[in-house]
Amino acid sequence: MNAPAGVDLAGIPDRIQSEVQRAIQRSIKGVEYISTSGPSLGSTPKDILAVRGTMNLYHYRPVADEIYRVPILIVMATTNRGYILDMVPGQSFIEFLLKRGYDVYMLDWFAPKPEEKRLRMEDYVLDFIPDCVRRVQQDSGEQDVTVIGYCFGGVLSLLYGSIFSDGPMKNLICFTTPIDFREMKLFQNFSDRRYFDVDGLVDSIGNVPPEMILSSFEMLRPASRAASQVQLWENIWNDEFVKSYRMFDRWATDTLPLAGEYFRDITKDLMWDNKLFNGTMSVGGRAADISKIKVPILHAVAEHDHIVPYDAARHLIPKVSSTDKEEVMLKGGHVSLVAGANAIKRLWPKLDSWLGGRSI
Amino acid sequence: MADKTNDPVAMWQNMIGEMEKGFNSFANQAMASPEFSKVMNQVGGATAGAQKQLSEMMEKYLVSMNLPSRAQMVGMAERLQSIEAQLNEIKAMLHQVHHNSAAPADGKGAPKPPRTKRPPSAEGDTK
Repeated sequence: MNAPAGVDLAGIPDRIQSEVQRAIQRSIKGVEYISTSGPSLGSTPKDILAVRGTMNLYHYRPVADEIYRVPILIVMATTNRGYILDMVPGQSFIEFLLKRGYDVYMLDWFAPKPEEKRLRMEDYVLDFIPDCVRRVQQDSGEQDVTVIGYCFGGVLSLLYGSIFSDGPMKNLICFTTPIDFREMKLFQNFSDRRYFDVDGLVDSIGNVPPEMILSSFEMLRPASRAASQVQLWENIWNDEFVKSYRMFDRWATDTLPLAGEYFRDITKDLMWDNKLFNGTMSVGGRAADISKIKVPILHAVAEHDHIVPYDAARHLIPKVSSTDKEEVMLKGGHVSLVAGANAIKRLWPKLDSWLGGRSI
Repeated sequence: MADKTNDPVAMWQNMIGEMEKGFNSFANQAMASPEFSKVMNQVGGATAGAQKQLSEMMEKYLVSMNLPSRAQMVGMAERLQSIEAQLNEIKAMLHQVHHNSAAPADGKGAPKPPRTKRPPSAEGDTK
């Protein structure tokens, strides 16, 4: 039988040998994988400044000899844990910022308890964020604060910045932040107002369970979980691949529930009425029009973001009134934009070069 | 070593990648239809309804067994949460006192570095 054109017959024995060795390694490492836990995540030294129900404010201990004047408050997305930005040493955005001389605080979220089902959008925008900003001001002794919002943390930061447009926010950085919710096509279809009874859901179950949030994210790419497990098995001999897989897999499945009333607000105001895009959003009776934002703003979006497509995110920069504003599109997806090897090369240095001069 | 165009393992990996993309694309098209939304939400609504009924039944059962009901447990949790919050306040106050009086070796409460840093490329820029 003739070899197909282009097949290197001489290299086949070496390839077979290499594959046999990998198969043996897979068996050994596979047992190791099952019997051990993954790397410890989110271990950059920090102090808890405040805990109030779902709200959890950390201060990371500075490591540089001198730091920038303006502290940073990171507002994490309410669906996920903040350790995506603090994976392991060498792959931690927080560690990167600290080494570059920033003073970093994070507003992270605990799972809302059943009795917190009554939390509404205004609790997040008019209470938790302003409370954390005040605490950052007190702790740092500075009036100005840079706010960084990731994904829905970006939406909350925009709403905060729209309402408190006279300060104290000095700079705003958003990562992959949706504005036009019509363009989140599948989420739109899942929450189609003709069929999705959000009132019935929230009234019956209270907080929206994390399994429901996770499955709605996974449904955007239904084959990817199975494919990633095949990839894991193929690469289980490779310690670096396994470490990275475990970090991201643990984070992705560590989804938080959403407070029921807050979910109702998101569904009605953003998914159904698209109020942020239309400029008709209000929070707790206060108008929240992003055109009121005047501070320097950077919006980082990912070229291959399947959760917040570019069409949903691209309106942010045109809509704000800031004169100092920039959108940067980087290679990567919704998560790899901010964490992992891709982020280390692309987003982090870009953010440092943008923010340094605006933090003095 | 064989290049990616004739390496059977690379071809297998490529095939898995293409299958993943193809299936995702096909599923996304199917999930974009109003029919999908209708069925998904009917199933989801029925599940939520069943969950509500089940929780009501469980509540009655627990009362009959002289066990604490969910509402009572939530009440306990609220009290615990309030105690936790007060403990955290006390911890923060202690941290502040400690910070003002000493700088231990673990770095906690150590004096903060001066806020004088300038970006390396734009010294003196006060943007």
